[in-house]
Amino acid sequence: MRFATRTFLWSFIPFAFLLLGSFWAIQKLVEHTVRDGLRSSLRQTHLSIARVRSENELQNSRFLKMLGENATLKAGLKLILAEPKRGDARLTVEDQLREICETLHVDFLLVSDPEGAPLAGVMRFDEQLVAMDIARIRPPQRGLMTAGQRAYQVVSTPIDQGEENIGILSVGELFDFSEFTTPALLAHNGTILKSSIPGIPLEEVASALKGCKEQSECEVRLRGETYISLPLESIYFGEGYVLRSLQSIDSASRPVQAILRNVFLIAGLGALLAAMILSVLCSRSIGKPIKVMVSDLRESEKTGLLPEFHATRSSIQEIRDLRESFNRAGAAIREARKALHRAYVEFVGSLASALDARDRYTAGHSRRVSEFSCAIAHAVNATSEELDEIRIGALLHDIGKIGIADSVLQKPGRLTKEEYTIVQQHPTIGRRILEGVHAFQRYLAIVELHHENWNGTGYPWGLRGDATPLGARIVHIVDAYDAMTSDRPYRRGMSHEDAIRVLQENAGTQFDPEIVPIFEKITNIALERRPAISTSVPELQSIHNLADAVNEAELVPKGLIAKDT
Amino acid sequence: MFLSVVGLSTVRAADVEGMVKIQHKLTKHRVTAPTSSYERGAAVRLASDHADDPLTFERMRVVIYLEGQLASDPLTATMEQKNRMFIPDTLVIPAGSTVSFPNLDPIFHNVFSLSKPKTFDLGNYPKDHTRTITFSKPGIVYVDCHLHPNMAAVIVVTPNQWSAKADAAGRIVLAGVPPGSYTVVAWHRAAGFFRQTIRVAENRANIVSFVIPLEENGAMAVAQR
Repeated sequence: MRFATRTFLWSFIPFAFLLLGSFWAIQKLVEHTVRDGLRSSLRQTHLSIARVRSENELQNSRFLKMLGENATLKAGLKLILAEPKRGDARLTVEDQLREICETLHVDFLLVSDPEGAPLAGVMRFDEQLVAMDIARIRPPQRGLMTAGQRAYQVVSTPIDQGEENIGILSVGELFDFSEFTTPALLAHNGTILKSSIPGIPLEEVASALKGCKEQSECEVRLRGETYISLPLESIYFGEGYVLRSLQSIDSASRPVQAILRNVFLIAGLGALLAAMILSVLCSRSIGKPIKVMVSDLRESEKTGLLPEFHATRSSIQEIRDLRESFNRAGAAIREARKALHRAYVEFVGSLASALDARDRYTAGHSRRVSEFSCAIAHAVNATSEELDEIRIGALLHDIGKIGIADSVLQKPGRLTKEEYTIVQQHPTIGRRILEGVHAFQRYLAIVELHHENWNGTGYPWGLRGDATPLGARIVHIVDAYDAMTSDRPYRRGMSHEDAIRVLQENAGTQFDPEIVPIFEKITNIALERRPAISTSVPELQSIHNLADAVNEAELVPKGLIAKDT
Repeated sequence: MFLSVVGLSTVRAADVEGMVKIQHKLTKHRVTAPTSSYERGAAVRLASDHADDPLTFERMRVVIYLEGQLASDPLTATMEQKNRMFIPDTLVIPAGSTVSFPNLDPIFHNVFSLSKPKTFDLGNYPKDHTRTITFSKPGIVYVDCHLHPNMAAVIVVTPNQWSAKADAAGRIVLAGVPPGSYTVVAWHRAAGFFRQTIRVAENRANIVSFVIPLEENGAMAVAQR
């Protein structure tokens, strides 16, 4: 995961959650407030209905008192009380009641005896005033009375003759939902009698309201909507009757919520967008210096160099610190690399010296071979890597002679065939010694193959021509030359000219015919530079000087840089 | 005002004729429905005026009689209770007559009066029952029903046998009045009493005419009820 991505996610996600959470909370709060407002307005409506109704009731009660003093009615009541068995007496009173109903336009009139047993009554039914079946009617003193599908709101008053109560008059009006501005329903002992909510069957309403307490406010779910139901306590309908308003909060608050939702959607998306942009900017400002730093490191990885970073390139303290510490680390590594290189070179040098020191006749042999080989390699435009390979490889080319007995190596006189075979093993031994050390892998070819001949008669493999690497071919020539020009216990060394002649004679058979003339030129130049020692073999620069000339960086395997950084 | 004629039996009788002229409608008859009916918007049958000309209605309820203790011939009359009405609603009888009040409605009715000449209450009685009562004192007797406040009738008990109701045209005839000076009384329930003196003579027209009520400036108006 990229640092910028990580920064973005860490800043944006909590921010987004925070925003969404707070918007959600605000939305809920507003919704709650809207509902509360609705609820209180509903309560207000109820209160005003109750006020109107109580005024009405007061008026009605006065009117009822007057009606109770109706002399005709009293006469009728007395008649019916006097003739309780007679149908025409009831008929007479019903006739009177009908007339009162027409005049006062009430929907329900009933006279009862002082004990409350109905005597005669009429009620409005489809705009007709019909006589009641008094045997089946038991009206409440005050409250709701259902007859057929209709509900009448009934109020009663005593009819007194002087001090004596002679009966009760009940006056009723058809109970009309249209008086209520809010949808309402009328229930009796849990059964819905009437409802002004369109489209929902009464049973469904009843089952939804089952959880509501008789005289308390409650919220119900109906067809996926929330309804608030308030009992209209101000109107008494009698035992078991409850009139409740039932209004959908959802449908009432829907328009407000729709607006809210739009506002919050726009505000929320805007805020999220802003948060996103801020997060992107933030992550970029954090990530950019690091990115620059990383690209610098990449560059140094590609080149294998450990350059100094400009600490001032970044304005951020941490990045500057990082650059500085990287610079310090780089410097330390460079220093270590130099030390390592020195140690290595010293090691190789001392190894070569140790080898040469076994025999005073071969003293300086490895060094000389290395110098000349380098010169040749330089002349044939070898790369610096090849140059390095040749220089070290030439220094080590006779390392295998460590494994060959001094008796053979330092034997004065010609070697027997067996002894020669032993000597011929030294390239293979040398290879075996060095192949265990990783750093010497590059030089194995020179160590193993510096006795292969151009025509394939050499050892140990008998390779032909170009099959032998260039370094090995060069070292072969220089080795032969140095051997010929060196003194031996049993002979004096050849002169330079003789040795060159031998090389020329064997060019194309034993030696690479292209390198021999080059070598000749190089030795001639060296002799010309130092005329004082012209008779002898040319003395070249010391190993150390030459080694120093080699590019330091080239000595260290490339992979090291990448691994260490 | 008591100009009585003596020796009626020896004198030949003559007819008193005349006209009653009604100036305008006198009886208040409700023809509109109660206000609440209109508010409610229900169809109501409006009470209508009498089918006849209103003035004819009024004329037919004018009673003419002679004042004074003259010969009386009691009779038996009937005032029915039918369709929640007294029929007839105006009855003229000489003092001492008996009136029967049969109930022809399927409901109970009650007949009572609180008038001075005769205070009575016949009680409640059902269909096909009747009750009778004798009116011995002359005067105006208003008859009502306890059970039906809209039912009202009037019985005019006259002091003698000369009494009549005007006909539809307003003509009045008191037949066989012995010659002499009399006070002729015209009475209407709403307008009250109207009196005129007349000298009744044989072999000539004895004309009396009433204008009810009096002209606006005729001062006397509805006195002495």
